[in-house]
Amino acid sequence: MGFLNAIRYFIVYFNYFCMAFTLLLNIIYIIQLFVSFFRVHHNYNRTFSDDYLSYEDSENLLPISLIIPAYNEQEHIVQNVRSLMKLNYPHFEIIVVNDGSTDKTGDRVINAFHMHKIETSIRYQIPTQKIEAVYYSKTYPNLLYVQKANGGKSDALNAGINISKYPLFTCLDADSRIEKDALLRLSLEFIKDSRTVVAGGIVRIANGSKIVDGELKGFTMPKKLIERFQIVEYYRSFLMGRVFWAASNSLLIVSGAFGLFRKQTVIEVGGYKKNTIGEDMEIVVRIHHYMRKHRRKYKVTFNEFSVCWTQGPMSLNDIRSQRRRWQIGLMDTLISHAGMTFNPRYGFVGMVSMPYNWIFELFGAVVETIGYFLIPFTLIMGELNMFFFVIYFLLSVSLGVILSEGSLVLEQYTHRAAMTAKQSIAISVYAILENFGYRQIITIFRVEGIIKYRKLRKTWGKIQRKEFEQ
Amino acid sequence: MKIELISVIGLLLCLLIIGIEYILLYRLAELQDEHTARNDNIRRRLDIHVEGVLYAPTQGSRDAEITALADEINGEYAVYEMAVKEIKEHQGSGFDDEAKEKLIERINTQVDPVAMYAKMLDEGDVYHKGYACRRLADLEALEYRDKIKECVDSKDRDLAYNAAMALCEMGDVYEVAAYLLRIENDTQYSGRIVNEFFDQFTGDREELAAMLFEKCNKYMKCTVIKTIAQYKIDGFRNMYIEGASGDDNQLKIACVKALAAFGYPEDEQILQIAAGDKDWVIRSSAVRGLSLLKTQTALNTVKHALGDKEWWVRQTAAQSLTRMDISPRDLEEILGGYDRFAADAMKNVLYKTVDT
Repeated sequence: MGFLNAIRYFIVYFNYFCMAFTLLLNIIYIIQLFVSFFRVHHNYNRTFSDDYLSYEDSENLLPISLIIPAYNEQEHIVQNVRSLMKLNYPHFEIIVVNDGSTDKTGDRVINAFHMHKIETSIRYQIPTQKIEAVYYSKTYPNLLYVQKANGGKSDALNAGINISKYPLFTCLDADSRIEKDALLRLSLEFIKDSRTVVAGGIVRIANGSKIVDGELKGFTMPKKLIERFQIVEYYRSFLMGRVFWAASNSLLIVSGAFGLFRKQTVIEVGGYKKNTIGEDMEIVVRIHHYMRKHRRKYKVTFNEFSVCWTQGPMSLNDIRSQRRRWQIGLMDTLISHAGMTFNPRYGFVGMVSMPYNWIFELFGAVVETIGYFLIPFTLIMGELNMFFFVIYFLLSVSLGVILSEGSLVLEQYTHRAAMTAKQSIAISVYAILENFGYRQIITIFRVEGIIKYRKLRKTWGKIQRKEFEQ
Repeated sequence: MKIELISVIGLLLCLLIIGIEYILLYRLAELQDEHTARNDNIRRRLDIHVEGVLYAPTQGSRDAEITALADEINGEYAVYEMAVKEIKEHQGSGFDDEAKEKLIERINTQVDPVAMYAKMLDEGDVYHKGYACRRLADLEALEYRDKIKECVDSKDRDLAYNAAMALCEMGDVYEVAAYLLRIENDTQYSGRIVNEFFDQFTGDREELAAMLFEKCNKYMKCTVIKTIAQYKIDGFRNMYIEGASGDDNQLKIACVKALAAFGYPEDEQILQIAAGDKDWVIRSSAVRGLSLLKTQTALNTVKHALGDKEWWVRQTAAQSLTRMDISPRDLEEILGGYDRFAADAMKNVLYKTVDT
């Protein structure tokens, strides 16, 4: 009897813990939202006096190497390179790194841009798989195509860094598009403060949007519910989360789809880590680790006006695979740099950002999932007050809606003019609806990632994506 | 019961916040729509006016069109900027840049954009003030120099920068020098500012540099030397020669770079010595400078640098050689030579410069 009582008490108190945890997490998010609002307001005003377009032809801008790691990207690669060539930036080179594709990625690039093989000396500042050949085009002198043995995305990025000649580099996904002025805006972060070593741009869901040559030409609501939810989710994640963490120089992730890095710093820390699927987060955490350990002054920043468009997954299966990978990437990185957690030597990153990611981003999903099953169970067993349950449920949904709506306000505030008033209001309905099912499913996928960490940490998932409209 | 009461209050508060957010979202979205529609309308009307101004058959009708355009602008700087942009980007025949500039000047006499920006400078927040400073400088509104000077002292770094940049465009040597000296200790910031300011400065760059050299610290001195290297100011050559032969490494780097930009034969000896320096940045600059001389001794040094232990020096040497009068025999010797470093560097450059 004593044992059963103990279980009963455990369940009841665990319920309270789950509730308190969820409420605390949402309150933290709301604090983030408020800080982000002031930050976005300040940054928006600053862009007015920045007059960033006056830098358009400036010799003072730092030249940039755009590295595109490509593995079986025959569908998107040529179109993507063509779109990048129209970027509004005075000096840049494009390096397509073919990571041993088994399809026609290489042939397509070589033929489309009239490239020929050249002999070139390569500085292997970061060890990578063998670079088999380098192609160059007289017609497109700022384009290089690199053929290398398969070694994974990190290896391809490291090869691109080895072959690049400019002090800044950005890694771009082969299936993403960056806006015409995005590079210009992002590179100003390095010009304005020379301590900047990493700058991330905002990633927006392109599903439904018409992007032509890096310019948004119109928005129609995507057909699938799952795509609509992702639009809200991305606003929340980027405009709220990243703006907040960047404000305290403790941003731990810069999206793999669009981030600008100081090459020398990345070489110093040893380049991208191989055999991890969260290489975009890992490199940023390693830079924090290295710079703080060596007491160097540095800045990891975020610019919400530099936009990269990406096609979000369109099926539940694809989104499951994506979220599992993200969670595994998070877990891998946190384990690799566990020594930073609660270590005052690493300042705000060690004392706040790392613990936050452990507690709320990693294990938060587990607590939330247990709560989904345990709380209704306890209610059925009659151990939980119905009134209390209803209030808790409404409260957690309301807090979720506050966050999503707040992100939409922020989005509207950045004057994107992407959506009409009607569309904005329509999308805000999904900010409510996502709390009934979508959010819970995503949390379960994240937990699945944790459970399958050992099995899946070195595997890649291919996501089916839509073509960009031309 | 107490916790339940708190929960209910919390819930009501949440609902209130959601309501406010909805109103805010709707209002912002509506404003956005209004703004877009208004801009589209203005743009359409501007198209007609600009077209009228550009293609008016007589002087009288052009004046009338300009008056109509001025009425459309009605003291709004955003509309004025849209009109100016449209004229500048107009691709019609018979309108070169000079003709467009003249037309803009005539529009300016009616619209008085200086008054618009002056008002912004008086009444705007720090961001608008900064913007106004820059535009007033573009319009050469020298009468507002004193007001802009006041902004240079602002505690807001962006405003101070924009005001100083405006004075830079106005060629105000004393104020610009004073601003640069004020930020010289902020090494993370001043390097970029020096580059931008010398780039935009419309006054005497030599005078500005001399004023800085007189009072600035070593970091600023090196930065200024490196920045003005491209302008090849003869007046500082002796200082460069002294610095290039001195013991201070940072100063040496800057001075060798500056001397290399001149490409004077009398500096060859200094550059030859610098090409053997222990610092690879100095070696690289010296090699670049020697490539401008095109003498046999310079050629030999650059060829020798192809085998340098530092990759960047080898690349610089290879690129420099393509600009020098290198004979096919020398080239063959390098490409087929024992030194693989040299051959690789040379091949790398040749593949990109010669049709294959």
